[in-house]
Amino acid sequence: MNDSFLVGGPITPVLISELMTLGNDDTGAGAVSVFAGKVRDDEIEGKKVTALEYSAYNEMAEKVAAEIIRTVKSAFSDVRKVVFVHSTGVVKAGEVSLFIMVTSGHRDHAIRACRHTLELIKENLPVWKKELF
Amino acid sequence: MKNVVRVLWFGVAQEITGSAEEEFMTEDTAVLRLQILEKHPGMRTVNFRLALNGTMLKKDRQLEENDVIAVLPPFAGG
Repeated sequence: MNDSFLVGGPITPVLISELMTLGNDDTGAGAVSVFAGKVRDDEIEGKKVTALEYSAYNEMAEKVAAEIIRTVKSAFSDVRKVVFVHSTGVVKAGEVSLFIMVTSGHRDHAIRACRHTLELIKENLPVWKKELF
Repeated sequence: MKNVVRVLWFGVAQEITGSAEEEFMTEDTAVLRLQILEKHPGMRTVNFRLALNGTMLKKDRQLEENDVIAVLPPFAGG
């Protein structure tokens, strides 16, 4: 399995469980930090958002994802694994559309690198969303 | 010299132009930007960036035949 990729539809609890087993063989990793981004039922001009439809520039997203992982690993020397997945297609309110997992030797770099990965994704990953009502 | 380039529309640019991609005859990205705004005035409201063959452009570039230019509205992942 790649370190990062786009998945069609929501990121399910089953997929999250599978992702969290990645790196289980690395017994030097004492910390795992995870982030899950969920679709919120915002109200826009009096209408409730029921879902978001995500689209991506796949070819570029793959390159950007690899670059994000390289950047995070070089910025946090204790980090051992960076994994993230982002949804494309329709994700309903309450469902997960982004999942990040960072493992490291100790807690400090896992937590900070997880946050940093999130910010890099928001800034650089070529993904767009459209509100569905 | 003018070349035919493939322009890919993403996000709201797809809604504005009504298509996923289009061909333009152009010479460089500065001229292409003007052509895009001329042909699709709705794009004037979008603060878009351009990627050339899958890599974000930081400055304007000459374009070669069959180059792929992606029109990227502000990202909204997460």
